[in-house]
Amino acid sequence: MTIKMKGHSESSIRMPKLTRRGFIKSGGALVVSLTRPDFSMGAAQSSAMTTAIASWLEIRHDNTIIVRTGRTEIGTGMSAFYAQVIAEELDVRPDAITLLMGDTDKTPDGGYSAGFLTGAANLRKVGAYTYQALIGLAAKKLRVSVKELTVVDGIVSGGGRSISYGDLVRDKHFDLKIPVSGEVAKVDPKSWNGMAGLDGLVVMGDPPMKPMSQYKVIGTSHPMPGIPAKVTGKTQWTCDVMLPGMLHARMVRPATLGSTLISVGKLDKEMFPTAQVVVKKNLVAVLSPDEWEAVTAAQTVAAETKWTEWAGLPGSENLTKALRSHKWGAPSEAKGNADETVAAIARSTKTISATYEQPYVKHAPIGPFVAVADVRADGTATVWSHSANSQGLRAQIANTLSTPVEKVVVCWLDHAGQFGRTTFGGDGADGDAAILSQMMGKPVRVQWTLQDDLAWSASSPGWVEDIKCGLDAEGSVTAVQSAFYSPQSNDARIVGAVLAGMPHSEPKPGYWIATEWPYDRIPLRREEVYGMPNLGPDSPTVGLRGLIMRTPGQRQQNFALESLMNEAASASGVDPLEFRLRHTTDRRLVDIIHATARSAVWETRPSPRTEARRTGTEPVTGHGMNIMVRQNSYWVGIAEIAVTPQTGMVQVTKFTIGTECGKIINPRQLERCMKSGVVMGVSEALKEEVTFDTGKITSTMWARYKILTMAEMPEINIVQLSRDDQGYGGGSEAANAICPPAIAAAFFDATGVYPRRIPLTPEYVKRLLNIAG
Amino acid sequence: MASELKLSVNGETHTVSAAPETPLLYVLRNNLKLSGPRYGCGIAQCGACAVLVDGAEARSCITSAASVVGKKVTTIEGLPAVWAEVKGLPVTDNKELHPVQQAWIDEQVPQCGYCQSGMMIVAVELLASNPNPTVEHIKDAYSNKPPSPHLCRCGTYAAIIGAVQRAANAMKT
Repeated sequence: MTIKMKGHSESSIRMPKLTRRGFIKSGGALVVSLTRPDFSMGAAQSSAMTTAIASWLEIRHDNTIIVRTGRTEIGTGMSAFYAQVIAEELDVRPDAITLLMGDTDKTPDGGYSAGFLTGAANLRKVGAYTYQALIGLAAKKLRVSVKELTVVDGIVSGGGRSISYGDLVRDKHFDLKIPVSGEVAKVDPKSWNGMAGLDGLVVMGDPPMKPMSQYKVIGTSHPMPGIPAKVTGKTQWTCDVMLPGMLHARMVRPATLGSTLISVGKLDKEMFPTAQVVVKKNLVAVLSPDEWEAVTAAQTVAAETKWTEWAGLPGSENLTKALRSHKWGAPSEAKGNADETVAAIARSTKTISATYEQPYVKHAPIGPFVAVADVRADGTATVWSHSANSQGLRAQIANTLSTPVEKVVVCWLDHAGQFGRTTFGGDGADGDAAILSQMMGKPVRVQWTLQDDLAWSASSPGWVEDIKCGLDAEGSVTAVQSAFYSPQSNDARIVGAVLAGMPHSEPKPGYWIATEWPYDRIPLRREEVYGMPNLGPDSPTVGLRGLIMRTPGQRQQNFALESLMNEAASASGVDPLEFRLRHTTDRRLVDIIHATARSAVWETRPSPRTEARRTGTEPVTGHGMNIMVRQNSYWVGIAEIAVTPQTGMVQVTKFTIGTECGKIINPRQLERCMKSGVVMGVSEALKEEVTFDTGKITSTMWARYKILTMAEMPEINIVQLSRDDQGYGGGSEAANAICPPAIAAAFFDATGVYPRRIPLTPEYVKRLLNIAG
Repeated sequence: MASELKLSVNGETHTVSAAPETPLLYVLRNNLKLSGPRYGCGIAQCGACAVLVDGAEARSCITSAASVVGKKVTTIEGLPAVWAEVKGLPVTDNKELHPVQQAWIDEQVPQCGYCQSGMMIVAVELLASNPNPTVEHIKDAYSNKPPSPHLCRCGTYAAIIGAVQRAANAMKT
C-alpha cells in the first residue's frame, strides 16, 4: 500500500564507524543497531528505541545471520524477498539468514507490512552498510586494500588468503550504528487515520550498493521460508498461543452496529460451572478455561442479552441513493484545472459520461480475528497478534489501557491473510483480549467467530464515481473529469475499546486520489475525490466502519477510469488496447501492453464484438482489458469470459495478467502473487458484496458473503518483464485490482451492455440484460 | 458434563476429558495440542478444520468428539505415518513426508497457509480413490462436495491443482 513518507535531508549523513567493545570469551558478533541523528522526541519514548536488543542485523561467529524487521509475512512471500535483498548486499546465501519479524521487543523499526518497497529499501541499505564494515575489517585482517577483496558466500578473499564473516567477528563484539529517521508509532488525533509513525523507521544515508548488473541472489526464486512448517503442522499460529491460567473468551456483540446494552443475559452456572460473564459498558464477553464452554455459554448469554434498537444505516440496497443524498462539500483532494477541463470537454466532438459503482466488500480472511493478551497489575502487557503493524497496534493498546507504550509488547505470529485491514494497527480481537485481560488479571485468548468477523470487522466501503471525457474528431480523448465519492477508509479504531468506552484512536473523514495517471497524451484532466464519515455516524458505538483493502482507492478509481476508457474506445470504434497505446508515450507501459497482448493472443477489433447478444441460453464469449500504473509497476489485465444471458451466469474462462515491476526480485514469488491476486480480483468482480439492513451487516457467513471457489477459477496466464534500470516496483498489490475492469469490458464485448457496477451476479446480469425471472 | 473419551488420533490412542458434544476441533487443538486443523467458520462452510475420519474428510468443527470414538482420526501431523503405512515402512522412525505434503512444499502452495491443512486433507482423500485426477476432478473435489467448497482467500487454487497432480505422480513411483 502507498502510504506517504516524510521527506528528510540526507546530505549530512556520513558512513557509520565500527566500534569494538573488546574481546569476549566465546562467540562473537557484529551487531548493527540504530542511531537517530536528527530525531527529537521525549526521553520516555526514545528509551524504548535504544535498548541493547534493538539491532537490525547480527553477523555471528558461526556464520549465521539474524535479521530483525518489524514488518511481517502476510502471505505474499516477503520473508523470501527480505532475505534475498540483504543476502545480495552482503554476498551471502539467503538461507544463511534467519528473519525475526514483527515483535516490538526485538524488532525496532516498525512499519506496515504491506509496504515491501520501503522495507526492502531499508534492508538493502542495512546490508550495504554492514558489507562496508565487514570488508573494512577483512582488509585490516588480510593486510590488503579493500579494492583487492572479493566476497563469495560470506568468504572474503584477497592477497591469496581468505576469511569468513564469522571468523572476522569471532571472539569480538562489534557495534555498527547506522543512522535512521522516522517517528515512533503513536495515537495522534491530528492525523487522518488517528495514528502517526506507522511508516516505521527509515535508514538514512547513501552507502555504496551493489549494481543490479552484478546481482546473483535477486532475480532467483528463493522459496518462502515458512512453508515446510506450515505444511507439517509445526507453525505456531496466533490462535495456538496457550498460557498457564489462560481464559478463552467469546464476545457477545450488540444487536446492531449502534445498539447499547440494556441488560446482560443470565449465565446458568449449573450448565456452565466454570464460565463467567464480563461486562464493561457495551463490551460483553463470556470467559472460561474451557473453550467449548465459552462458546456455548456465550451463545446462551447472547440469546438473553438485551440491546437498544438502532437503525442508522440506509440498507445496502439503498447505498447509492444514500451516497447521492450526502452533502459532500469540498473535495478531500483535487488535481488539475477544472475550468480548462470543463471547457475542453464542452469543445469536444463527442462526450462520454458514466457513473460507476460498487457495494461494500470485505477483506474476509479464512481465519477470523484472534489474539491472546497477558496484562499484568504492574501495567505491562504482552499481546500475541497477527496485526500487520505491530508497532501501530502496540501504540493503540497502550493508549486504550492507559499504560506507557514501553510497557507493551506485541508479538506477531502467523495467521490468515488480512489484506490491509490491520495496516493502521487497529481493528481485531487484540483490543478485546487486552481489555479483558486487564479486567481479569489473567491471560485471555479472544477468538472472534466468523459471524463476529464479517459483522464487526471494518469493511472496504462502497463508492460511486461520476466520470466523463471528451473525444475529438479523430476519436482521441481531449480531457477527463472525475468525481469519486465514498465513506472514509481509515477507521482503525479498536472495536473493543469503542464498545468498552475506553480511549481509542479517532480518524477523520476524507479520501485521497489514488490513481497514478497513465495517459500523458490526454492533455487535460480534473480529478476530485470526496470522503464522508462512516455510514451510521450517529451510532453511539461504531457504525459501519471503513478501512483500506488491497490496492486501496486505486482499485476503485481505476475501475472507473479504465471502464470509461473502454467505453470511449468503443464510441471511437477503436480496439481498446490500441486506444490505450494512442494515449500514452510511456515506454514501460507500451512494452508490457504489447507483451501481455501477445501472450493472450489478443484479437484486435473494437468492442462490442459483432456477434454480441443479450439473449439466449447458449453462452456468448467476449474479451476485455485494462491497465494500471502503481508504485513503479505497470500492469495489464486481459479477461476472456463466457456469459449465459438466460441464466445471468458469467464465467471467466481465462485471465492473462502482465506486469513490469522494475527489477523482479523473485520470479516465483511474483508469479504466486499474480495468480492469487487474479483469484481475488475475479471473486470481487463476480461475487462479493456486503449486505446490511438498517442496523447491521447481514452477510455474516460464507454462504452469504460469497467468494470464488476453485471450480470458478479461470485459467491464469502470467507475463513478467524485468528491467535493471528502474529499481524495484510493487509486485503484488495491483494483481487483484487489474481484474474487475477487464471482466466488465469483456462482458460489454460479449453482450453490448456495459456493466457500470460490480459484482456481476446472476441477478444483476439478468436485470442488466432485461432477462425476466 | 465432561466424560472420558477414548480417541484414536494419528495412530495413537488418547483418553481425553471433554463433554461428548464438544466438536472434535477443540479436542484436537486444546486437549491434544494438534494445531493442523484450525477454526475458520465453525459451521462447515470453509474447510479449514478438515480432518480424515476413517479416511474420509470430515469437518471437525461440526463433528462431535463422541462420534469419532472407535474411528481413526488423521490430521496433517499424522500424514507421514499414513504414507509410511501405504509404503510398508516402519511408522515410528519414518522421516519421509506424505507426498501430498512434499508436493505442497515443492509447489510452494501456502501463502498465509491458514486453509492449507484442510486443503491437504482433501488431496489425500481424493488421491486414495482417484490416483489420476484430472483438473476437473480436482476442481470438483474442492468445490462441489458437501458440506461446502474449500475456500482459500489468498487465492492459491492454481497452486493446489499443481500440487495435487505432482503428488499423484509421486505416489505412483
